[in-house]
Amino acid sequence: MAPKPHIEVENLEVYFGAVPAVRGVSFTVLHGEQLTLLGPSGCGKTTTLRAIAGLEKPVAGEIRIDGAPIYSAARDIHVPAEKRGLSMVFQSYAIWPHMTVFDNVAYGLRVRREEAAAIRDKVMRALALVQMQAFADRRASQLSGGQQQRVALARAFVFQPSVLLFDEPLSNLDAKLRADMRIELRELQHRLGITSVYVTHDLEEALAMSDHIVVMRDGLVEQTGTPDEIYRLPRSAFVADFIGSANLVHGRNRRDLATDGLLALETPGGQVIYGNAYGRSAGDELTVSVRTVHLQISPQRPAGDRNVWPARVEKTVFQGDFTQVHILWGDQRLIARCAALDPLPAGQEVFISVDPKRVVLLGT
Amino acid sequence: MAHTKFGHITRRALLKAGATLPLIGIAAPNVLAQPLSKSPTKVLDFLTNADVAKAEQEGQLVFYCHENEAGTAGIMQGFSKDFPKIKTSYVRAQTGALYSKILAERSAGRFDVDVLQLSDLSPAFDFQKKGGYEHYESPESGAYKKDNMSSPKGYFFWTGVDPAGIAYNVDKVAGSDAPKGWKDILDPRWKGKISCKISASGLQFVQWYMLRQLYGDGFWKEFAKLQPHAFDSRVQLFDRLSKGDDTITAIGEYPAYILFKSRGAKVEFVAPADGLVATPLVVGAVNKAPHPEAAKLFVDWAMSKRGQEWYQTNPNLYYASVRTDAPPMPTGVSLTQFKLLYPQDWDDYAKQSATFLKEWNGMLGL
Amino acid sequence: MSAAVSSTEFFSAPKIAGYGVAAVAAVLVLYPVFFLLQAALDVGDPQTRPPTAYGLDNFEALLNYPQIMLNTLSVSFAATLMALVIGFIMAWILTRTNVPGRLLFEQLMAVPYYLTPLLGALAWSMLGSPESGFINQFWRALGGSGHVIDINTPYGIAWVMALFEGSVAFVMIGAVMKSMDPALEEASQVIGASRLRTMLRVTLPLVIPGVLGAAIFVFAEMLGSFAVALVLGTPNRYYVITTAIYQLIQQYPPRIQIAAAMGTSLFAVMFLMLFLYRRIVTAGSYVTITGKAFRPRVADVGRLRYLLFGVCLFYLAVSVVLPIATLLFASVQKIAVAFPTADNFTLDNFRSAMSMNAAGSALTNSLILAFATATIGIGLMGLLAWLIYRSRLPGAGLIEYVVMFPQAVPRLVFAFGMMWAWLVFPIPIYGTLWLLLIAYLTVFLPLGVRTIAGVMLQVDKSLEECAQMCGASWAFRMRTVSIPLLVPGLVAAWLLLFIASVRELGASILLMGPHSKVITPAIVESWFSTASELTATLALIQTLVVAAAVAVLVVVTRRVSTHLVN
Repeated sequence: MAPKPHIEVENLEVYFGAVPAVRGVSFTVLHGEQLTLLGPSGCGKTTTLRAIAGLEKPVAGEIRIDGAPIYSAARDIHVPAEKRGLSMVFQSYAIWPHMTVFDNVAYGLRVRREEAAAIRDKVMRALALVQMQAFADRRASQLSGGQQQRVALARAFVFQPSVLLFDEPLSNLDAKLRADMRIELRELQHRLGITSVYVTHDLEEALAMSDHIVVMRDGLVEQTGTPDEIYRLPRSAFVADFIGSANLVHGRNRRDLATDGLLALETPGGQVIYGNAYGRSAGDELTVSVRTVHLQISPQRPAGDRNVWPARVEKTVFQGDFTQVHILWGDQRLIARCAALDPLPAGQEVFISVDPKRVVLLGT
Repeated sequence: MAHTKFGHITRRALLKAGATLPLIGIAAPNVLAQPLSKSPTKVLDFLTNADVAKAEQEGQLVFYCHENEAGTAGIMQGFSKDFPKIKTSYVRAQTGALYSKILAERSAGRFDVDVLQLSDLSPAFDFQKKGGYEHYESPESGAYKKDNMSSPKGYFFWTGVDPAGIAYNVDKVAGSDAPKGWKDILDPRWKGKISCKISASGLQFVQWYMLRQLYGDGFWKEFAKLQPHAFDSRVQLFDRLSKGDDTITAIGEYPAYILFKSRGAKVEFVAPADGLVATPLVVGAVNKAPHPEAAKLFVDWAMSKRGQEWYQTNPNLYYASVRTDAPPMPTGVSLTQFKLLYPQDWDDYAKQSATFLKEWNGMLGL
Repeated sequence: MSAAVSSTEFFSAPKIAGYGVAAVAAVLVLYPVFFLLQAALDVGDPQTRPPTAYGLDNFEALLNYPQIMLNTLSVSFAATLMALVIGFIMAWILTRTNVPGRLLFEQLMAVPYYLTPLLGALAWSMLGSPESGFINQFWRALGGSGHVIDINTPYGIAWVMALFEGSVAFVMIGAVMKSMDPALEEASQVIGASRLRTMLRVTLPLVIPGVLGAAIFVFAEMLGSFAVALVLGTPNRYYVITTAIYQLIQQYPPRIQIAAAMGTSLFAVMFLMLFLYRRIVTAGSYVTITGKAFRPRVADVGRLRYLLFGVCLFYLAVSVVLPIATLLFASVQKIAVAFPTADNFTLDNFRSAMSMNAAGSALTNSLILAFATATIGIGLMGLLAWLIYRSRLPGAGLIEYVVMFPQAVPRLVFAFGMMWAWLVFPIPIYGTLWLLLIAYLTVFLPLGVRTIAGVMLQVDKSLEECAQMCGASWAFRMRTVSIPLLVPGLVAAWLLLFIASVRELGASILLMGPHSKVITPAIVESWFSTASELTATLALIQTLVVAAAVAVLVVVTRRVSTHLVN
């Protein structure tokens, strides 16, 4: 049985004064899944999240939870944030400095007037889940960043909300901690089975943690899909280059050369590259995306006659786990990412090739 | 006439001083005198028609007075000493400001004042006409001449007299250069160094009126050229005089002179031959007072020998009493040698008020 | 202090609280102004109310007093200039150099303000009068002739105004200096510019907009100054608008109409100044606290530090130590002179002082009133600050104008309007402490709201939003999150209001009644009709009692604030 929609956002528009922050965004979050809003800063992802939370007032659209509207412009509904039954982890953690760790976590339960014994039990279990039991009586202001983050998390789920909203919760942590927390958060989310809406600008985070990703830019949705879909099948140049790095190749559609279900594109420089339309409509002018990691480099000509061209190395940049190679291909520059290469001197003539499956047509 | 040193003010001298006062002949509005409903009781050593027990029950007295701060506090101190159960509070402002204040309050329906003391007869007449004073005939009024009370009696009385001459700083003015008469204050050498009182002062009004009468309209216009400094109270005038901030004051009140001299101030007093200007200081119980019995009690106290002695001997007051059987002052001068200058026609005097205010305020830049 | 309030809830608690308090503020502020304008336009018989005829004659009559207008402008201008210079120098010394005792001096810079300009004027009058001033007596004792300073001149008035009312300039310029990114100066020095060149080419231009804003603000304050001009100017017939208004009201008959016209014109100028100030400094908010506070680079000035230390000491000496010492010296003499003989000493002044209004009832009244003003004030102004800066209720911007309005009206003029407004009010509060309470709450609105807003805006919004997300209603989260976080700031605001209330003069002097005397105006009244030694004694007693009260309160509030946060 397919999971049902839990949160539905329809044509949401949010303005700050005269400035539009969200210009018509729609997506659905299914029960139990984590949906991530991904995009560069200023794209409106946080505003959308806050609108779902009830902390921003939209000007148009509708937001429904389990089918019931919590915001509707048409029906003039705006349920206040405290009544929506959602929960949120803030970017700054928002730990209350004048309370202990215990009191911070217990807050939501006290609001709901639970009994002291029940509160104690739930709080300690929540703290145990984030490995902060030992700090229960510590003053909240004395915690480190990572510790505050865990407390914020415990506080957010202790009263068993049906939805957890995350506003870039890991962005203030250092890289190593972030990587660890990512995994922990994901496990926690699975264990509790809570529906999550997650906001981040960090690509790795989004790809690692999400069931679905909504890529946003400038207040609009660029593409929605699973991490794999978005990575393998970007629809636009923006998505292609934002999600991993990609080379974009433009050219004429050579329908006469199309074969085996592939399409053929001829660049202005005369090279022909074969790729896959993946169901998208192909016009006369095409743009395809070739991921940098899919571009192969070899000193000798590889086997096969499709998508193999001579090229010249311009320079290489050593990046640790991979090396970035800048290639001159005809009169276009391409970038390839290769793992552990033998050093390639600048100016060397090489051959580059790419599997046509990996050449993706951009478009709808 | 050369000025002389001062000796005592004897009782005889005061009686004589009282005798030189012109008769007051004002046609008072026809007001029914309230019959004495009960016979006066004796409290301490004076007679009163007030219900003393009730007054003490009322427990408060609100006094509006023109005197300077220390003087007003002094008057209240005297009353409090004799009637400790009555808590006193006061508001002080120079006569003009005080009168405006009480009128403004009454016009807005606020009646917070028990007793009013003014240093000018003109607003007192006005207040009587407006029905502001309570009509109360004190059993002590027998000790006062008709001229020293309101007409008809029972509205206000003269609690004292405040005479003023010229005073100067002896370090700044050699004895031979000292002013001798009123005309000497017009000397251009006093420019920027001479003081007077503000237009709200009753005594200043009297001085303006009298000297104008004596020396003509041009007198004060000459005076204005000296750019005098004006102040609210005699204490300020003598304070500055004793320190040399001013060299001479055109309106040196005798009580202040005595006070400052006793403190060792280097000041000297001049009684011009033409006479000392003087204003009566009038006290009356106010109509619709919040503590009527206390008000009446105060009036009786103030009129009595006891009260008058307090007024005469308190260093911040040193009033000259006009009570016919007033005791002699502890120190003082024989006023018999000098005239006291009072307006002859109080009606005319009152009418000149607007002219005085305009001229005086204009002289001071407002 | 939650974010968006739902539009679908018509009578929500925050809305009622917000609009209710806004209505109260509007009445407090606008009611007296209406009466002021009415009196200014009244050309009928002054004794009859309500006015019988309206017209502009009173404003025409103002043309007869050009000197007063000129005096006001010139003395305010001079005072502003002096205050800016002093403020700039002290701000630079205390925020940019490593002069010893910096933090202590910064605290002490506020003391002249607390001593009140009245006390400063009284003391400097005793120091600088051409004949009797102690400094001039010293001068003559040293062999000089005449006098070396005359405090009763416009420059003298401006000097005392700058010393005692100018600490605002220091605070504002200091804030500007602190908010400057030190990296900007470091960049200049790295390139090789000398310290002086850096100062002139980098620091100064960066600081000038803020200084300009401070200049305009300080100028507006100086226009409304009263105490100093009263004590030092009036004896010499030198009037400014505020003292002229006071004199006109005290005359018999009081010239209300022209006083109202003067007050209105002064108010118009101040309003204009403050409007300019807002345009220059911010996009509309009076909160001068900026988001990010840099740590300004403190320069090591080497041996210059000791000279600068001397400058700081000199400032304190001139504005605090010298005035108090002068008053003390005068209070124990019969007739205050610089070189008293043995028999000139006395304690009589202290004895007399105790029996006077100013010492007894006035002190008690002032302390009670200050307590009430501060306590009610933080509630009222806290709600207003929330309403304006956090609630996002419609119309909040308008309320900000109303609340900041009293800034543009000199206190004396405001009280003038209040005098008439509340005289005719059916409830008999005229002449009581209640009227003073209302007056104080009104004139302190800008101060209180600005201070509390500053504190409020430093509290991260997300702390309150998080409480919302945990399900807490507005009242619950106010009680459990917002207010506890604000406590230290609210306590500081309470203390500020207490002190402002005790030192208030302009409004109180017109609204006092026989049963509602308060300290500072009582001292002024005593100055009018008392020997200067006695006035000095009263001023000293007042200062001591208030200082003691404040010291006690600081200790108590510190304890309360840590207890509440725990």
